[in-house]
Amino acid sequence: MVNQESNGSPTVKHRQRHEGPEKHIIAFIFSIVLTLIAFAAVAAGGVNTAFTVILLLVMAILQVLVQLGYWMHMKDKGHLIPIIFMAGGFFVAFTAIIAALYWMWW
Amino acid sequence: MAHAHTVKRHKGLMDWLTTVDHKKIAILYLIAGGFFFGIGGIEALLIRVQLAKPMNDFVSAQQFNELITMHGTTMIFLGVMPVIFALMNAVIPLQIGARDVAFPFLNALGFWTFLFGGLLLNLSWIMGGAPDAGWTSYTPLSSTTYSLTHGVDFYTIGLQIAGLGTLIGGINFLATIITMRAPGMSFMRMPMFTWTTFVTSAMILFAFPAITVGLVLLTFDRILGANFFNVESGGNPVLWQHIFWIFGHPEVYILILPAFGVISEVVSTFSRKRLFGYSSMVFATILIAFLGFMVWAHHMFTTGMGPVANALFSIATMLIAVPTGIKIFNWLFTMWGGQIRFTTANLFASGFIPTFVMGGVTGVMLASAPADYQYHDTYFVVAHFHYVIVGGLVLGLFAGLHYWWPKMFGRMLDEKLGKWEFWFFIIGFHMTFFVQHFLGLIGMQRRVFTYLPNQGFDLMNLISTIGAFLMGVGVILFLVNIAITASKPKGVAGDAWEDGRTLEWAIASPPEEYNFKQIPLVRGIDAFWKEKMAGNKEMTPAEPVGPIHMPSPTILPFVMSVGLFIAGLGFMFTNDDFGNGLMNFLFNNYIVVGIGLAITFLCMLLRSLYDDHGWHIEPDELNGKGVKA
Repeated sequence: MVNQESNGSPTVKHRQRHEGPEKHIIAFIFSIVLTLIAFAAVAAGGVNTAFTVILLLVMAILQVLVQLGYWMHMKDKGHLIPIIFMAGGFFVAFTAIIAALYWMWW
Repeated sequence: MAHAHTVKRHKGLMDWLTTVDHKKIAILYLIAGGFFFGIGGIEALLIRVQLAKPMNDFVSAQQFNELITMHGTTMIFLGVMPVIFALMNAVIPLQIGARDVAFPFLNALGFWTFLFGGLLLNLSWIMGGAPDAGWTSYTPLSSTTYSLTHGVDFYTIGLQIAGLGTLIGGINFLATIITMRAPGMSFMRMPMFTWTTFVTSAMILFAFPAITVGLVLLTFDRILGANFFNVESGGNPVLWQHIFWIFGHPEVYILILPAFGVISEVVSTFSRKRLFGYSSMVFATILIAFLGFMVWAHHMFTTGMGPVANALFSIATMLIAVPTGIKIFNWLFTMWGGQIRFTTANLFASGFIPTFVMGGVTGVMLASAPADYQYHDTYFVVAHFHYVIVGGLVLGLFAGLHYWWPKMFGRMLDEKLGKWEFWFFIIGFHMTFFVQHFLGLIGMQRRVFTYLPNQGFDLMNLISTIGAFLMGVGVILFLVNIAITASKPKGVAGDAWEDGRTLEWAIASPPEEYNFKQIPLVRGIDAFWKEKMAGNKEMTPAEPVGPIHMPSPTILPFVMSVGLFIAGLGFMFTNDDFGNGLMNFLFNNYIVVGIGLAITFLCMLLRSLYDDHGWHIEPDELNGKGVKA
C-alpha cells in the first residue's frame, strides 16, 4: 500500500499546471510602481520629512508583501515547508540581531 | 515519449571537470577535502613540533600565528566540511531513492566555488603571508592596523567564495530531501543520515548568511577603508564577535550533526537492530539545531555582556546536553542486545561515543560562565573543541568512509589495516588532547608560540606532540589502505555488509549512473531491511521501466568559479603598488575584478539563455548491454 503522505503517486508525477504570466506581470508592475512612489516621494522633497518616512515604510511593507506573496509563492497552496523555513529564518535572524544589538549598545 | 536529445560524453579529465553526477561530485569533494585535510594536518604537526619543548625556535612567532590560523580555518572550512559533503553527495540521493540531487548543475557549482575559494585561501602561503589573526579573525587584530599583510584579505575573500559553495550545497540538499523522496518515504521513514543532512542543510541556510555579511564588512573595512569595527570612527569590534559566533556556533553543529547521522547508520547496521528511539532521535536532532542558534554568546562571556546575558546563555548552552544525551543513550540501547560486529566502521563509531561524551562534559563545564572566566583562552578550550571535532566529527567521518567506501568505489577497504588505523588514531588522539585539559587548568594559554621551562608544561606538551604523530600514522595507514584497495579488482555485492538496512544497499556498488532503474516503493523505516525480512531480494518498484531523464554535463560551473577566483584576487590587490605601470593600471582600476566578474556573469547568461533539456537513457539501453558510451 502506498503511503498517502508521500509526494507524488507511484506512477508518473503530474506537475501542477503553471498559472501563466498574467499575475506575474501584474505583480511586477505593482513592485515597480511601489518603488517609483518611494523614489518620487524623496525626490519631490517639499513635503514634510515625517510624512515621507512613514510613506516609505508603508511602501516597504507593501513591497515585502508583494515579494513574499507573488515571487516567493507564499500565497499559493502546498507551500507549507517554504513558509516554515521563512518563519524559521525570520525567527533566527531577529533573535540574533536584537540580542546582539541589545548587549552591545544598551 | 522521450525527446531525442543527444549528449556529448566527455572522457578523462574533461569528464571530471564537467560532471554533474552526484556520485562523481562526491568523489571530487572527497579528493579536494582530503587534500586540504592533509595540509591542515601538516600544519597541526608543525604546531606540535614547535610546542614539543620549551623555548623552541622551530618556527617564528609570526609563522606560528599563520600556522594556527590556517590550521583552524583549513580544517573546518576546507577539510571536514567537504568530506561531509562528499558523504552527503554519495549517499543522500541513494538513501531517499532518487536518481540525483534536485539541482545537479548547482551541485557542481557548489563544489567548484568551494575548491577555488580554498585554493585562493591557501595561495596566501606563497603570496606574501597567510592570515595570522586566528581562525576567528577577531577585530581589531584582523584590522589593517595590526595585520599588515594580505593574509586576512585571503581569509575574507577565500572564505567568501568557499562559503558560497557551502550555501549552494545546503540549499540543494534541502530541495532534494523535501521533493525527491521515493514514493512511500514519509519524513518519519527517512534514514537518520538523511534526517541529519536535512537539518544540517537548514542550519547552513540560516547560519552562512551571517558569516557572509561579516566577511563583507571586514573586507570593506580592510580594502575600502570602512569603519564597521573601528572604534575611533564609531565602529564596534564586539560586533564582529557577535556576527562571527552567530554563524560560528551553528557551524559546529553543522559539523557534528552529519557525524551523528553516520553513527546512527553504522551502529544500527552492525548491531543488526533497528535504531533505538528513532522518533526521539529526530526530535533531538531538531532540538539541537534550534538551541544551536540560541547560544552563540557563550563564546563571549568575558566581553562584559553582564550577568543576565551570561546566565541566559549559560542555561541555554547546558540545555543542549539533554538532546545530545538522548542520542548517546539511543546508540547504547541500539547496541544493547544486538549481534554486534566490530568492523572498522563500527570500531570508529564505538570509539566515537565515549570520546564525544568527554567533549560534551567539558562543554558543559565551559558553559558555566563563572568557571569560563578561568578556562577562557586556555588549552582547556583547545582540548574541549578537539574532543568534539576530532573525537566526534573526524571519528564519525572515518566510520562513514569505511562504511560507504564499498558503495562509492565498489571495493572493500582492508579490514585488518583498518583496525590498525583505528587504534593508532584513537590512542594518538587521546594522548594529544587529554593532557591538554590539564595544561589549560594549570595555566597554559592557547595560541602562545612558546613557553618557559619548568612551569609544569614540559612533559605534557611532549606527550601531546608524540600523540599528534601517532594520529598522523593512523591517517597515513588510511591512505595506504586506500592505495592497496584501489589496486584490487571491483566486484563488491550491492549489499556489501550483508546487513544493509537502507535503500543505498539495494542497488549495485558502485551504482549505475542513473542509480535506480525503477524508483523503489518504500514500505517502512529501513526500507531495504523490511523487504529482505519479507523474503524479497530486491525492492518493489514503484514505476514501470521507462526512459530515464539525465542532466547534461557542463563546464559552466568550473568557469564560473574561475571567474570568481580571478575577481577575488583582483579585488584584494586594489590598493597595492606593484612598481609596474601596467599591473598598477590593471589592479587599481578594478579591471581584473571586472574581467573575473564578466566571466562569471557571462556564464550565468549562457546558462539562462541556452535551454539544456538534458538527455534520456532509453529502456533498451537499460537491459543487457548497458549504457551506450
